[in-house]
Amino acid sequence: MEFNSNLPIYIQIMNLIKTKIASGELNGGDKLPSVREFSKEMKVNPNTIQRVYQELEREKLVFTQRGMGTFVTEDTDIIKNLKKDRAAELINQFFLDMGSLGFRIDAIKKMVSEWTNKEESI
Amino acid sequence: MSNIVEINNLTKKYANKTALDNVNLNIERGKVVGILGPNGSGKTTLIKILTGLLRQTSGEVLIDGNKVGVKTKSAVSYLPDRNFLYKWMRIEDACHMYKDFYTDFDEAKFNELLAFMNLNRSMKIDSLSKGMHEKLNLALVLSRNAKLYILDEPIAGVDPVARDQILDAIINNYNEDSSMIITTHLVRDMESMFDEVVFLKDGQIVLTGNAEALREEKAKQIEEIYKEIFGEG
Amino acid sequence: MVKLMKYEIKGTYKILLGILALVLILITGIYMYSRDSSNFLNFGAIFMTLSVLVLFGTSLATFLYIVSSFKNELYEDRGYLTFTLPLTGNQIVGAKLLVAMFWFFILGLAIFLYNLMMISIFSTSEFDFSELFKAVGQVVSVKEIIIGVIGGIFNLANFFILIYFSMALGRVTFRNKKIGGLWFVIFLVLSGLLAFIQVQIIELFPYYFDINTFKMGTMEELYNFEISIGNEVSISSETGIFKLNIASSIYNIIELIVLYLGTAYLIEKKIDL
Repeated sequence: MEFNSNLPIYIQIMNLIKTKIASGELNGGDKLPSVREFSKEMKVNPNTIQRVYQELEREKLVFTQRGMGTFVTEDTDIIKNLKKDRAAELINQFFLDMGSLGFRIDAIKKMVSEWTNKEESI
Repeated sequence: MSNIVEINNLTKKYANKTALDNVNLNIERGKVVGILGPNGSGKTTLIKILTGLLRQTSGEVLIDGNKVGVKTKSAVSYLPDRNFLYKWMRIEDACHMYKDFYTDFDEAKFNELLAFMNLNRSMKIDSLSKGMHEKLNLALVLSRNAKLYILDEPIAGVDPVARDQILDAIINNYNEDSSMIITTHLVRDMESMFDEVVFLKDGQIVLTGNAEALREEKAKQIEEIYKEIFGEG
Repeated sequence: MVKLMKYEIKGTYKILLGILALVLILITGIYMYSRDSSNFLNFGAIFMTLSVLVLFGTSLATFLYIVSSFKNELYEDRGYLTFTLPLTGNQIVGAKLLVAMFWFFILGLAIFLYNLMMISIFSTSEFDFSELFKAVGQVVSVKEIIIGVIGGIFNLANFFILIYFSMALGRVTFRNKKIGGLWFVIFLVLSGLLAFIQVQIIELFPYYFDINTFKMGTMEELYNFEISIGNEVSISSETGIFKLNIASSIYNIIELIVLYLGTAYLIEKKIDL
C-alpha cells in the first residue's frame, strides 16, 4: 500500500480497516491479522500496527483477547454507527468538493434528485 | 536504562571540514530510527563512529551503556554501504565466519533469508552483482540476533526487485526487542518503517522526532518534509 | 585470534601454494638442467646463480603478498569486516603476524626439504645424508642451529611488525589513500632510527653472553668475530661459538613488544577508515 495522503500512516491504516468493517468485508467477530503479519503485509513498522490496534480498540471497533488476537467488535450498534460516520464523512466530502466546483446547496439537491431518478429508471 | 544509543556533543572534524557538528541523540530500545539526509550530510560518518571504524574528535558515544569497543561490536550488527566481505570467499565461508565470530548468529535464519533472496551458499562473493551483494550482506546482518542493527543505505543503487526483497526482509526480520538504525536518502521507499526520524544536514541534526507525530504536526509525509529541508534537488 | 588466523590462511593459501608450486618446479628445472649440462666447469656457478635468483624471487613474492594483505585491511573495503569483528587490536595484529610467520616458515621448510630430496635424486654418486649432517655438524653445533633459527624467526617478526607499524602510522597520519605509499618512507626512517639506537646501545653496554659456556664477556674479549646477523646474533666463525649482546637482545625484544602494542593501539584506537 502506498501512503501518500498527508495523514499519519496509522490513521491511513485505521481508515482502511474501518472501510472494510463498514463495507462488510470484515464482519463482527472476525479475527484481524497479528501485528507482525499485518506489518509484513502493509510493509510498515510493527509499532505502527500496534498503534492502529490500540486506537481502534479505544474507539471500541475491535477488542483484544489475551493470547488469542484482535477481533472486530460484535456490537452491531457500533458497526452501524461506524457506517453512519463513514456516510457522513462521504457526504461532507461530497458537499465540499461540489462547493469547490461552485455548486450551491439548491443546485446540488436538484442534481442529486435528477441522478436518483435516472438510477431508478434503469 | 532505556536508551540503546546515547550520543552526547559528538563532533567529528577532518583536516578541512567538519563532518559532524555537536550531535546529540538518544535512541530508545525497540525503535526503528531513520537517519535521513543527502550524501555528504554526515550519515555515514555517524554510523562509522557507532561501529568503531571512525573515532570522534570530541563528544561521547555509548551503546548499551558501553563505549564503542569489542563489547559493542559484538552487540551491533552492521551493514556497511559497501561490499565488506573478503573477495576470496564463497557465501558458505561468509556464513562460517559469522558463525565463528558472532555467537548470536542464527544459521537456520540465514538459510531462510538466502532462499528468500534467491542466493545459494556455493556462490562466489567475487561474482555477485551489486544487488546480490546488498542482499547477501543484509541476510548475514539480519541473521544475527543483535541488540542493535545498523543499516547504512540498504537500498541505495539496487534494482526495484532487489529493493522490495530487501525491504521485506527488514520488516520480516525486525525483532521488537532490538533496535535498528537505518540511514537513507531514499525516503519514499523506507519512511513507513521508521518510528523515529532524524534529519541530518551538514553534520547537524536539523529536525528529529516521532515519524507519525511529525506527519500529524506538519500534515505531510516524511518525504515531503525531507524535500522541504533539503530542497527539491 | 585463532579464528581470524583460520580465515587469513583460507584467504591466502591458494596464492601462496601457487608460489610454492612454481618454485618447486623451477628448482626441479634447475637440478635437471644442472645434471644435463655438459659443461662441468660452469656447473656450480650456474646452479648457485639460479638457486639464489629463485629463492630471492620467492621470498620477495611471498613477502610482498603478505605485506599487501595487511595494507589491504587498511585501505580496502575488507577492513569494514575485519575492524568490526569483536576483536581487539592485539588479536588482529597477532593473527596477521602469526599467519605471515607461518607462511614463511612453511615455504622455507618445504623448499629446504625439497632440495634435500632433489639432491638425493639427482646426485650422481651415492649420497649419504648422515655424511652431510656430520659434515654440517662439524662446522656448527645443533645448539647453534636452534639459536640461529630462533634468532632468524625473531628478526623476521621484528621486520614484519615494523612494516605493519609503519603502515598503520601512515594510515593514521595521512587520510588520503593516494599517498598511502608513504608508509615506506616511514618504514625507512624508523628502521634507520631503530638501528642507530641499537648501535648506541651496543656501544654503551658491550656485554656479551656466550651460549656455549654460559659466561658473560665484554666486547674486547671478542677479538675475532666476523659475521654479524642484524647485530643481534654474532657468529665467531673461527671458534664456532655464539655470543649474544645482552643489551642488544633486550632492546630487540622490547622493540618487538612496543611495535606490536603500538600497531595494535593504532588500529584499535586511531585508524579512521
